[in-house]
Order: sequence, then C-alpha cells, then structure tokens
Amino acid sequence: MLLLLVVVLAVVTLAAPAVDRVLGRETGWPVAAVLALLTGLVLARGRQVLVEGQVLEAALPWMPAIGVGLHLRMDGLAWLFCVIVLGAGALVLVYSARYLPPGRQGGFYFLMGAFTLAMTGLVLADDIVLLYVFWELTTICSFALIGLPGPKAGRPAVRTFLLTTAGGLALLTAVMLLWVRTGTTRLSEILADTSWTQDPGFAVAVASLVVLAVLTKSAQFPFHYWLPDAMVASTPVSAYLHAAAMVKAGVYLAMRFSPAFGDLAVWNAALICFGLATAVIGAVFALQKDDLKELVAYSTISQLGFLVAVVGVGTPLALIAAAVHVLAHSLFKSALFMAVGILDHQAGAKEVSELSGLRRAMPVTTALSALAALSMAGVPPLLGFVSKEKLFEAFLEAPGPAWAGPVAGTVAVVAASLTFAYAFRFVYPVFTGRGPRTPGRDAPEEAPRLFLAAPVIASAGGLALGLAVPLLNPVAGAAASDAAHAGTEAHLALWHGLTPSLGMSVASLLLGAFLAWRTASGAVLAGRRLFPVQGTTVFERLYSGVTTAGERIGDLTRTDTPTRHLAAPIVLVVLLAVAVFTADLDYGVRPESVSHPQDWVLVALFTAAVAAAVLTRSRLAALALVGVAGFGTALWFLLLGALDLALTQLLVEILTVVIAVLVLRRLPREFHRVPRARRAVFAAVAVATGTAAGLGAYVFTGRRELSSVAEYFLSNAPEETGGTNVVNTILVDYRPMDTLGELTVLSVAGLIVTATLHSAGILGKWSTRLSVSMASPAWEADDNTVIMRTVTRWLLPLLVLWSVYLLLRGHSAPGGGFIAGLVGGAGFALVYLTAPSDSVTRIRLSYLATIASGVTVAVGAGLLGYVDGSFLRPLHTGLPVPWGEVHVTTALVFDAGIYLTVVGVLLTALNQLGLERPDRRFGEGADARERGRDASSSGGTP
Amino acid sequence: MTLPIAIGVLVTGAVYLILQRDMVRIILGFVLLGHSVNLLLLSAGGTFRRGRPLLETAPAEEAADPLPQAFVLTAIVITFSITIYMFTLAAASEDDDTEEAS
Repeated sequence: MLLLLVVVLAVVTLAAPAVDRVLGRETGWPVAAVLALLTGLVLARGRQVLVEGQVLEAALPWMPAIGVGLHLRMDGLAWLFCVIVLGAGALVLVYSARYLPPGRQGGFYFLMGAFTLAMTGLVLADDIVLLYVFWELTTICSFALIGLPGPKAGRPAVRTFLLTTAGGLALLTAVMLLWVRTGTTRLSEILADTSWTQDPGFAVAVASLVVLAVLTKSAQFPFHYWLPDAMVASTPVSAYLHAAAMVKAGVYLAMRFSPAFGDLAVWNAALICFGLATAVIGAVFALQKDDLKELVAYSTISQLGFLVAVVGVGTPLALIAAAVHVLAHSLFKSALFMAVGILDHQAGAKEVSELSGLRRAMPVTTALSALAALSMAGVPPLLGFVSKEKLFEAFLEAPGPAWAGPVAGTVAVVAASLTFAYAFRFVYPVFTGRGPRTPGRDAPEEAPRLFLAAPVIASAGGLALGLAVPLLNPVAGAAASDAAHAGTEAHLALWHGLTPSLGMSVASLLLGAFLAWRTASGAVLAGRRLFPVQGTTVFERLYSGVTTAGERIGDLTRTDTPTRHLAAPIVLVVLLAVAVFTADLDYGVRPESVSHPQDWVLVALFTAAVAAAVLTRSRLAALALVGVAGFGTALWFLLLGALDLALTQLLVEILTVVIAVLVLRRLPREFHRVPRARRAVFAAVAVATGTAAGLGAYVFTGRRELSSVAEYFLSNAPEETGGTNVVNTILVDYRPMDTLGELTVLSVAGLIVTATLHSAGILGKWSTRLSVSMASPAWEADDNTVIMRTVTRWLLPLLVLWSVYLLLRGHSAPGGGFIAGLVGGAGFALVYLTAPSDSVTRIRLSYLATIASGVTVAVGAGLLGYVDGSFLRPLHTGLPVPWGEVHVTTALVFDAGIYLTVVGVLLTALNQLGLERPDRRFGEGADARERGRDASSSGGTP
Repeated sequence: MTLPIAIGVLVTGAVYLILQRDMVRIILGFVLLGHSVNLLLLSAGGTFRRGRPLLETAPAEEAADPLPQAFVLTAIVITFSITIYMFTLAAASEDDDTEEAS
C-alpha cells in the first residue's frame, strides 16, 4: 500500500502537465480526486495502524551496494502526517481549480503533485538518505512554486531556497554522521539504537544539526523571515505550504527524532526557547499587519513556534499536544488562507484597512473565517481550544529547573492572548461595520459554491473534531507513542474539570480580549518597525558579502598575463623548499661521488648554453642555445646508459627546431624588452628556484641501492616478455596503460594544434617576414634547394624503411614506437624543408586520420588482451618460418599504434604550422593578392 | 654531485625564461624545465650503475634502473607535443607578446 501511494502520486505528478493541456485549471479536480482517494485509503488503514499498533512497511532496492534502500514505513506518527499532507493537498487542489484564472496553468499542478509526493515520501521514509532526498525535494518544489508567479518572485524564492538548503545541509551532515556511526541507514534502527545516544558529545552534535534543520524548515526565529517573504507565491501554494507541507516537515522531523534526543538538555532547551520566542514574536508581528495574507503568514510562524516548543518539552502529554495541534493548525490555517484568497477575488482587496462590513454580502465566507479564526484563538468548542489547552498543560511540564514550567506556561499564555488578538483582527474589522471603505469599487459578492467548498470543509472540520474530540484519542496516542513514549494513551476532551490549564485558557482569552480592545484590534501597532533590522536585509547583506568576497579572491587570478599565474606555483615551491630545508630531517648518508669526469664537461656545457640562452635577445639564437642544452641532455642520457632516451632526445631536438622555425619566421626577430627592475626580480626568483631544485636533487636522490622494481624488471623481463630491451618492455608489456594514456595526450595535442589554428581564423592572415633581398643569391628557392631535394628523394624512403626497422626491433634493441615514429616524422620534415613553396601540402596523408588510426590500433591491441583475461595484456606466440621460429607479440601491434600516433602528430604540426593558405573569406581579390605574395615570398622558407 | 648542479642550472634558466613576457621565451623555459625534470627522474634511479638495460648486449648486473628511463622516454615525447602546442599558441597571432592585451 505504501508503494502504491508513492507510485500513484508520481504518476499523477507526471500526468498533470498533459492533463493541463486539455483541462487547464480544471486539472485540479482529477488531481484532488486522486488525493482524496489516497486519503481515504490511508484513513481506512487507521484502525490497523492506530488501534492494533501495526507498522506498515514496504521496500524496494535502490543502492544495495551501500545498503541504501527505498524503505517506507508507516506508524502512527507517519499516518497522522500522511493524512494531513494528502487531505490538505486535496482541499487545496479543489480550491485551486476555482482560484486560478481559467486556462493552462504551466507547471502549477505538476509542482503541487511533486510537492505532495515529496512530503508523503518524507513522512514515510525509513531510510535517512531517502529522508534527506525527500527533504530537499520539498525545498526544491517550494522554490519552484514560490518563483512561479514571475520575475518579482525570483528573489524571495532564492532567499527561501538558500536558507532552507542551509538547513538541509545541516540535516545531510547529521545523516552522514549517523550513517558512519551506526553503520546503517534505516531510520527505525538508528532511533532504536541507544549506543550513539549514550555518547554525549556525538549526540549533542547530531541534535544541534537536526535542530538547525528544524528551525530553518519550520521558519523559527531567527530564520523566520523566509515564510512571509514567500508570500509572493499564489494563495493555494501558501495555503499548502503553511498548512501541511514544508513548515510541517520541520515539526515532523523534530517529532521523529524525539526518541533519540528527548532527554538531551540541549534539544529541550533549544526547541523550547526558540519555539516560544518565535511564538511571541510571530504573534506580535501578525498583530501589526494590515495585509491579511501577511497576518496569516506571521500567525503560522507563531503557531509553529508553539509546536516546536512543545516537541522540545518532549513528555507524552507534550507530544499528544503536538499531534493534536498539528492537525488543528492544518485545518484552521488552510481555511484562513483560502478565505484570504476568496476576499482578494471577490472584494478585490486583502488589507484590513480596505475591507469592512462584508458579512452581509458574503455570509458563508464570514462564517468560515470566523470558525477558523476562533479555532486559532483557542475558543471552545473548537479543535483549536482542545489543542491549546493541551499545549498549556504540556508547557507546565517543561523539563529543567523548577521555574522552567511556570515560565514556559506564562510565555505560552502571553503568546496565546496575542493570538486571540490577531485572530480577532482577522475577523472583526473585515466582516462587521458599514461596508466597503473604498467607494467606487463593485459591490462584493459571495463566492461560488465550488470556490467555497474547500475552506468550508476545513473550518467545519475544526468544529466537528472539536465537538467529537475523543475520536482523536487513538491517533494522538499512537503518534505520541511513536514519537517518543511507547504506550502513551490520549484522553482528549472539551471539559477536563477545573484544571490549571483551564485557568490558563481563560486567562489567555481574557487577556486576549483586553488586548484586542486596547489595541483597537491591532491598529495601534500597525506599520511600526519592531525590530532594528529585517531578516531579508540581513540575508541580502550576507549574500552580497559572500559574492563580493568571492570576486575579490577571483580578482587575484583574473589576468591574461601568464607570468602571474606561473609565478605563483614557482614561489610556492621555493617557500616549500625553505620549509623543508630548515626542518631538521635525516637525509641518510649520500654515498661517495659517482660522478665521472666527462659529467663535469656536460655541466660546463649546460651552464654556458643556459646562460647564453637567458641573456640573448635574438629569438633564433635562444632557440639554438636551448637546443644545445637539449643535445647536452641527450649526451648525458647516453652517459647514464639510457641509449633509447638519448636517441629520442636527439630526434626531438631536431624536430623541435624544425617546428619552432616554422613559427619563428612569423614573429619579430628580437624579444620584447623587459624593465631592468623586473629582470632583477625574475633573476632572483630563478636563482632561488634553481638552488632549491639543485639542493633537492642532491639531498633526496642517489641515496639508495637499485630499486627492487628495477631488480625485478632486469631479471624477469626477457623470460616474461620475450624482449631484451627492458625499457621498451616496460612501455609496452608491463605498463601499457600508462603508455596508452600518454599516447592519448599526444593525439589530443595534435587535435588541439589543429583546432587552435582553425578556430583562431589566422591561417590565411599569416604573412611571412622576408629577410632576404631580391638581389641575394638566396632569393631563388627552387635553385637553392636543389641539392637537398635530390638527397631527400633518396633519403625519405630510406628513413621510412629505417623507422619501420626500428619499430620492429624495438622490443630487443634500441628502437620502439616512439623512436621509430620520430625518425619517420623526421623524414617527412625533410620533405617540408625542401619544398619550394609553402602553399601546397607536400604529403597527402591525412594527418588526423593517422593519429586516429594510431590510437585505434593501440586500443585494438589492448582489447586483444582480453583473450588472455585483461585489457592490454600482451599475447605471445611463436610463428614458424623457414629458418626456425619468430617470436610474435601483440605488444608489437601496440608499439605500431604508438608509431602511427607520433607520425600523425608530427605531420599535423608540419602541415598546420608550415603551410600558407589563401584566405578564402576575402574572395577573389584576396586570393589574387595571396597568390602574388606567395610567388614573391617563396624564398622565405627556411 | 654533477647531476644536481646541472638540474639547478637548468631550473634557474627555465624559471627565468618562463617569467618573461614573450611566448617563445616561455616555451623555451618549459623545454629547459623538461630537461631538468627528466634528469631529476634519472637521478632518482641512481647513477652508480650506468650500463644499458639492453640485455642482449650488456649484463643485467651493471644495467641502470630501467624504470625511470621508461618514464623519461614518454616524458620526452609528451614534452615535445606540449611544446608543439605552445608554439601553435605563439603562432596564433602576429606577435607573441603575452602582455599586450592586458
């Protein structure tokens, strides 16, 4: 049945927009009918749940791996809230079908359906994760519903959303703490588990978080301001939000967690203090309001204050009072809101000062408003009287010091008398008196019956249940039992005899009447500012403060200058280095020097090359000098026994120069000047960083024997992989996943080069800076490249063949995919260099396709590994040939993928950076210019 | 001793170039930084054994640590591709001054 409830609500929600297309505002009827049906369904289980004490449960798997499930559970407490949520929902929807203007209603019915679903799910959830999800869903639904009327509602909706989400985050934290501590997400198990409630620190932390969630959700002081702020929503939304959904979620949560926290002093004190303070403050605010909708909104704050405070008292009687008052409040508050909507519709105003004497023209509205207001004021024999008397009785039991009960009771009486005064203000000036105060307005008429139906049912319900209040004994008892104290029985009655609470009731009524008289029904206070600041102002200040702070922080990095971005990590590294070297660390013993004499030659070479590269202002010279450092690195690799690295480094140096030159010819010859002071700072930072790096290398490396990994590779690689080039076997056999990742980086670099140049739209705009005069013998490109072209004609096929040979033998000798690819690429680079003109593609291979095929081949070889159980595992086999057997492995195929990718990236760079293309965007004229320029500048090719 | 000195020299030059305003200088700085990091990786493997890890022609007992070599091999190629990309950025306008616009 519980699953049915949720599923039906979900279906109704999803179907609502479609029905809305056909029926427009009349969609309210079918939706209300379904909700009424579901209410009936829940009511029918009343006997089972309330009297027999059965607990209905249902479950669906959701995230079984982490033990989170769609666990639903209905006990007495959930039953009560379920009836309120569904019943009030049905009433509000009936009302909406007349309140809303004819025509399509956009998302209104969808959101109301979702809101009902979220609230139902919330009160039924028996999984704290699920509970949190539904809790946030109510927040999201209310945000959307409040924002529905249009742009002016945007800000209040955002304020409501942010505030209630903050409470939601507190709840999420509590959920996580409980989950981690108890190891389960089942709410019923967590509440039954006493192990964590015995730990005072933990329990207080969780209780505080839950209190925060309750206070924000239920609009308690000092978070109360969002509720009146949310008044921009349409009246049915407000009616539902105040009577059954959203704010009641906070009360539900407090009641649900009462078994765990009921004995915690923090819990009692926080809820009672904040609750009663809110009850008084809300009532005072309500009394001074002219707008009836605002009056009722503040009244909600005040009433919820009563509820939160009484849940904080936590005795069986208090929880009975809470249960009854939740129901009473739903009835009278929904009726009052709907009455305000009717007044607005029929009389054209909702301000006390604008309305008068409506009792003649609108007798039914008058009666229902009066009934609801009397129930709110706590006048017998209405339900509100019973619940208020229970509240008084409960407050006298407030835990803590002996004075707590009387003080709480007194404050409650004061708040109740204020309630009487504002309830009086809602009815008396509006419905009595001479007639409309604003002349010229149409005479108000009574609303149509269908419009009146819902509020009449709600306010009549308050009367009927008040008269037959013992009917509520089972539900109040069951709810209180489930909320904290098993076996609680309620004894509700209109007349209990001469009890203290009766005296308090009488006192509150008399004091209320006096207040109503003395304040001329609130007019004395009307419009006065009672607080120095308003909640919304505080919120907006905080909000803009946070965004401004964010901007300030963002400003630090908001620059296009790379220097500032690059300097930050560099300086940080230096600071880290200082911190490390000043700390007293044990570095171990560095073995005596293992340097060879030729190493010192390289150090000298580096120093000279780097110094010159730093000082020169010529671009070409800097490039060449950095190249020298590169060759030095290659030599050092050679000295260190890394032949493959040396080969790779050499090839890369050559190709870097080729590609750099393609770019440099478009740029100024000399570097930009930088002020001397700035250079000095850079030099200082550079020396500091270099010192840190050198010291770090000295201190942290070379202090141990050969690593065990290296030991393993060196002793096992030949047998396991069939290759004797250990470096290459690491790349393609042992760590191919890393290599595949690097391959991907390579291919992405190729794609980015293409994308950057194309998106910048600069290919056609490049002009080559000619540095050769026409008289020079270097002018004629064709003649000057004749030798090179002749050589290349023979060299290219040889280079390509050699590269393939390097690829094939790479597994056991120097070579492999990277080196072979670079050699092949170097061959193509030669072809580019010897080209007499820049405008024709020299090699008609599709470079992007080459890159793609490389990655595909590599991944394909990896997939073959699944034959042997896992991705990228190399397969080995022997292939018989006339002279014996050849070892074949898929690692070679993988290497071929590397080869293709490297060649593809090189081709991309050469093609993209090396070509001059006519810019077709400028049409014929530009083309012609381009051709002319091309003819004259062909000699500029390096 | 020699490798740390070389690393220090390379990093000094690299950082000085990286902090300049011309894109080409920044690129060259990155190239130098790449060299220094590659040497650092090899230094981490130790320089007391300098044999080639090519087991057909050299004994395994003298071979240098092959793992940093494998790292460096891919690092060289990736540095190269990043260098190409940065050169593309430098080529993307008439001038490679990075501070003109701001």
